Amino acid sequence: MRIAVGFKVTPDFEALRAADWARVAAAADAEGRAQATRYVRRVFGVFDEAALELALRLRDARADDGLPTGLAAFTVGGPDASPFLHTLQALGFDCLRVDPGGGPASAADTAEAAGALDFAPAATAALVAACARQLGADILLLGERGGPGGSGTVPFLAAEALGRPCVTCVTAIEPAGADRLRVSFRADDGPVRALTAPPCVLAVGNAVVSMLRVPTLKERLAVRDVPVTQFTAADLGVDVGVALDRAPAVRSLEPVDRSRAGIVVTGATAAEQARALYEGHLRARLEAL
Amino acid sequence: MSLSREAIVEGLRGILGPEAVVTDERVLVENSVDNFRKLQNIFDVHVMPVPAAIVTPTNAREVAAVLTWANEHGVNVIPKTGGTATEGGLESAVPDSVIMDGSAMNEIVKIDPYNMQATVQCGVPLQVLEDRVREHGLTTGHSPQSKPVAHLGGLVATRSIGQFSTLYGGIEDMVVGLEAVFPNGEICRIKNVPRRAAGPDIRHIVIGNEGALCFITEVTVKLFPYLPENNRFLGWTLMDMKTGFEVLREVMVGGYKPSVARVYDPGDAGLHFSHFAAPDDCVLLFMAEGAEGIAKATADGIQAIVDRHPECTQVPSEYIETWFNDLCWGPDKILAEDERIRQTRNVNRTTEISADWSSINDIYQAARQRIIDEIPDITMMGGHSSHSYINGTNMYFNYFFNVVDVGPEEETEKYYLPIISIIVEETLKRGGSIVHHHGMGKARAPWVRDEYGSSYYMLETLKTSFDPNGIMNKGTIFPI
Amino acid sequence: MTAAAPLRVVAVLDATGSAAERHGRALGAFLRDGLDAGDIAPGVVTHVFCPPGADPGAASATAPTLDVRLVRVPAHRQDVATAALAALQTGDGADLYVFPSGPSGTELGARLAARTGGSALTGVLSAAVGDGVLTCRRAAYAGYLEEESALSRRPWCLVLDAGWDEARAEPPEEHVVVEAAHLTPEDPGAPPLLEIKPLEAPPTGDLETARFLVVAGRGAGSRRGVERAAAAAARMGAAFAVTRPVVMNAWAAPDRQVGVSGTRAAPAVCVVAGASGAPAFVWGIERAGFIAAVDTDEHAPIAGEADVFVAGDALDVLEELADLVDRHSR
Repeated sequence: MRIAVGFKVTPDFEALRAADWARVAAAADAEGRAQATRYVRRVFGVFDEAALELALRLRDARADDGLPTGLAAFTVGGPDASPFLHTLQALGFDCLRVDPGGGPASAADTAEAAGALDFAPAATAALVAACARQLGADILLLGERGGPGGSGTVPFLAAEALGRPCVTCVTAIEPAGADRLRVSFRADDGPVRALTAPPCVLAVGNAVVSMLRVPTLKERLAVRDVPVTQFTAADLGVDVGVALDRAPAVRSLEPVDRSRAGIVVTGATAAEQARALYEGHLRARLEAL
Repeated sequence: MSLSREAIVEGLRGILGPEAVVTDERVLVENSVDNFRKLQNIFDVHVMPVPAAIVTPTNAREVAAVLTWANEHGVNVIPKTGGTATEGGLESAVPDSVIMDGSAMNEIVKIDPYNMQATVQCGVPLQVLEDRVREHGLTTGHSPQSKPVAHLGGLVATRSIGQFSTLYGGIEDMVVGLEAVFPNGEICRIKNVPRRAAGPDIRHIVIGNEGALCFITEVTVKLFPYLPENNRFLGWTLMDMKTGFEVLREVMVGGYKPSVARVYDPGDAGLHFSHFAAPDDCVLLFMAEGAEGIAKATADGIQAIVDRHPECTQVPSEYIETWFNDLCWGPDKILAEDERIRQTRNVNRTTEISADWSSINDIYQAARQRIIDEIPDITMMGGHSSHSYINGTNMYFNYFFNVVDVGPEEETEKYYLPIISIIVEETLKRGGSIVHHHGMGKARAPWVRDEYGSSYYMLETLKTSFDPNGIMNKGTIFPI
Repeated sequence: MTAAAPLRVVAVLDATGSAAERHGRALGAFLRDGLDAGDIAPGVVTHVFCPPGADPGAASATAPTLDVRLVRVPAHRQDVATAALAALQTGDGADLYVFPSGPSGTELGARLAARTGGSALTGVLSAAVGDGVLTCRRAAYAGYLEEESALSRRPWCLVLDAGWDEARAEPPEEHVVVEAAHLTPEDPGAPPLLEIKPLEAPPTGDLETARFLVVAGRGAGSRRGVERAAAAAARMGAAFAVTRPVVMNAWAAPDRQVGVSGTRAAPAVCVVAGASGAPAFVWGIERAGFIAAVDTDEHAPIAGEADVFVAGDALDVLEELADLVDRHSR
């Protein structure tokens, strides 16, 4: 069984301050948005990180049953992803990076093209599907959503392009014999467990396992000279331009003002504070429920 | 004959009343360790002696009453405030200890903008004080990573240092006076003056005593103008630490006082700066602050110095500013870190030392290489220098390892202590200090005689004089 | 002057599971309050998917429109449902599809757009038609920003923001139901999922529908603290939720979480205890009618994101509050 995990490297949104968000919102285009977030550190998309660790645990669990599993990881994006790819190589993934800019683009062009993909899930999905094909993946494993757009549609659109079924909001994956997997996921009406058989697309959601293990220095050294396979969109036969043109156009972004009155309720003790809160603000509201 | 656990609790209740004596078993167990053995709390496997009680006195007289009683009955007392200790200073070395928690003494006594000083009780969180003095356009100038959580009492007790120390100094340069209570119940106040030459400076008996001599109830610290609009940030990438140390030295010798002056080795830089530094790059960074002319002159002077080193490649200052804005660790980050350890069993530890300019690079290189060679399961071994002086600098070793084949409670013995041991050996060999700013705690206490040499007589005399019955934080600074 | 062609709008409701009631109300509320079709009076029909043996009346009961097209599809057969939708679109040429939030709606919306050359947008808060394009608002950057986007290629496939699930719109009393029997394939092929078993469902529904909600943050300090907060909430008759740091610290189960990576609640009254007010969390409660927050840190962002703020011990105040509410409700 060959599993390919697609992941995205994003700016750490939590490291951005209000002024940075104002800059992101004021940016005229994808390039400006990428520029406004370029100074913060990069992180794995949270669901992508969970998908990567679930893949490793699945490999380990299958190995306990004497079953071989091939692991590959790929990303669509610029050189930002290099340290992340190196970590994944050390953990045993074959790694592939797709440069969405196409051709021997400069880093800036790549960043711009990657930024344009942020709100174009169909274009991203076309590249993701092409990677899955390139890697011969029986299972395409993705994070349920992530990045600036966070549409949650990439797994479905990639599945559509591949002609495969897709299960999202996956919370656990276990081996079930040589060719099947038992997946737990959240359906509209609650958590479900079912058997699935490749080829399929699985998108990981709020899994209990959410953090990627860390390779040792020795494991890193062992893959120090192993190159990451690189492709352009054109190499994979994907015309990103067409998909980008079809994407919804982002007209504006605005910081969300979540401020409220913030009236301060005082009291010398917790009992007094609770009484002031209850009598002054909550009692009538609760009685009206 | 030592008191039973029940008798200890009874005695404390008699002094402070039942509300000020915490005996909830769960709370006590969690307080049997600090961050030195944090995996015991993260994985909930506790093997240390459990304290008998936690007491929360509300003034110096109550502190004195408890200490007098403990001194009479030989009960070990562990002073504590914010609880961010990393070196075992707060863990229970002996059964049935009493943790004296000063966090209920949390009043800001006075902010005096004219005389540029603020007086607070020991349990005031530094962040709270900083926020209050900022309302006056002032700052404490003290900004350890633990700022959101740590309290003033503990910061003074451990000789804390902040991220802006190169300009403002360590806490020892900030404390102008204080109040402390000794085991015999003596309440001592050192008045607040700009300087004195009336004999030895006895503030230093209290600052850094780590609760092994006395309990700090109140401190007065200096204040400085807060002028963030003048902050300037500078950053470079470079190929080796030796050059980095050399630039830091030239900046210090040149008489410049940047608030932040750091050089990161490739491993440590990879944690913070991989979005602009290549995997083998070191990162050199500075922040200049203060009055506009001073900040400008400082930044210009540093620029001129680094420009003489063509092997340094300048990076946009926004990278450094963004890093700077996300420096401190609040409770949310601590929780996320704990969860990461729980899931991945990958643990981050740090050990900080200091040495003169001639030795620092050798210590760094030797300790780093030995740790990589001798310790299993290392996932990152690096560090940075973050506090520089005219005669030398510190090295903050920062390292990660996977805990493999042992229980979480054995992490300290299998990995952490052996690594500390290597760093300490390499430092002592070259005449450095084995502790730059976290305190000795119980982690590095075994090397106290090596650290002090012939001056250990002076240190030991402080202990035997002020705490003759040895009831103050047994095992801290002075090994059992 | 030519009159603009009426906008053909389709709501899609998956009634193969138990989320149909919530989703039906969400669709109705969006059509009533979230969609500005301008001067064009939209004619709306609902496509309802229901299991083969289901009673047509019961299956359509929560559909938001009078007109219902009923398609028989087994549960978890998104492949069959997508094919049916695409076939209906070939016949109808609808302009706009509205799907409720959740995996089923997202999959159908995304796949339908892909198959028909249309455009899909998820997490939709509102939409307005004008000049031949559909302008929509949605959250972006994990809730830090709000985005306005324009869709041109039809059909427009909108998947609603989960917040619409809490909106209240009663379905029509009666429905005109037409069975689209020809769309149910005789042999639907091998199912993608086998041995489907519901797992023990944690009672998450109460967070989404709660009128009175208590949320505990990292300020609760420990598992024990979270238990105290939960007990206080129970005494007040409030639903109980937590923030991400609490879940991350394993002090409460993930299904209790509100925020970007959890549930989005819309209670009339929300009491927040010991949360600092990170945007990703506040997003989860910002639809609350009234927010009262308690935290020791008066400088925490939550102080300005709440209607009233108490600077104090979150657990102590919460327990005192529970005493008061408990006493008055007797």
